[in-house]
Amino acid sequence: MEGRSRQKIPGGKLVEVRVEYGERILGVEIVGDFFMHPEEALGRIEDCLIGMRSGEAEGAMVEAIRKEAENAGVEMIGISPEAIAKAIKMAIG
Amino acid sequence: MKWRLVKFSKNSAFMNMSIDEAILEMVRDGLSPPTIRLYGWSPDAVSIGCFQSMEEEVNVKRCMELGVDCVRRITGGGAVYHDSEGELTYSIIAREDLFPKGIRESYREICGYVVRGLGKIGISAEFAPINDIVTHGKKISGNAQTRREGVLLQHGTILYSLDVRKMFGVLNVSKEKISDKMIKNVEERVTSVRSYSDASIEKLCESIETAFTEGREYDIGRVSNEELSKANGLAKNKYGSRDWNFRR
Repeated sequence: MEGRSRQKIPGGKLVEVRVEYGERILGVEIVGDFFMHPEEALGRIEDCLIGMRSGEAEGAMVEAIRKEAENAGVEMIGISPEAIAKAIKMAIG
Repeated sequence: MKWRLVKFSKNSAFMNMSIDEAILEMVRDGLSPPTIRLYGWSPDAVSIGCFQSMEEEVNVKRCMELGVDCVRRITGGGAVYHDSEGELTYSIIAREDLFPKGIRESYREICGYVVRGLGKIGISAEFAPINDIVTHGKKISGNAQTRREGVLLQHGTILYSLDVRKMFGVLNVSKEKISDKMIKNVEERVTSVRSYSDASIEKLCESIETAFTEGREYDIGRVSNEELSKANGLAKNKYGSRDWNFRR
């Protein structure tokens, strides 16, 4: 299945997520007008969500994104691990 | 630390993005000085942020019909319509230790130069976090920054004149949505130099140059042959490629 969500983060930027999923998340693409430094880290953040259960709690997704972001030394502006996780959950429905 | 000021010139979208990245690489390697560059876009162009989807943001078919270039930036942020006659773009490329460590603080500092430049032509503007500059409550400049291997690149646009219908013609907004109400809405949020100043675009360039160079030792220079050679390669293999521009 495929799901999409689009949200304007209050005080932040627009984040759109496309998720391919079955019982588990099979693919994730995050697009929007946010900033992320280094830019290459977005691919790592997308990848860290693949394989998670589609019904996983939002909090667990936040933790996975935060851990990956910390490992990659990421600074996010106009977006956050919470906003990404919320968008993923919205896309899965 | 002597800076280089590269005076205003117009280039294609692909070359503009390529020149910025070529300078970034040369500054990183210690082969080029910190650089302030002013430029325009010819033909008209749309640039999208690093993380945006070209197909979603841009009416690519319409751009092709009109001969408008479409390019993905290496910086984040949103889609921008670059009118060849209605806009000034700057880039500032230097070792990141010359600026505040925090990205938000460095936006504030660099945007401060633009604010001062606008002040010189009688426009009272202010920095509006995250990355905008506003005057009379309306956006007049958008800015985007990246940092790579110790080098900061920030580019930004200053709207000189505004043609909302032209802008909507190439950005992905359905015809139904381009209503007078929506145009009015954009005009209430976005403005341009011409709305508040009689300054020519040349005068605007001069004011921005002065604001950036005040208190700095600098030479007026040009893009070097080595930078141009790198830029030509980037224009061919990266910024002019479908792989890069349509990657999301």
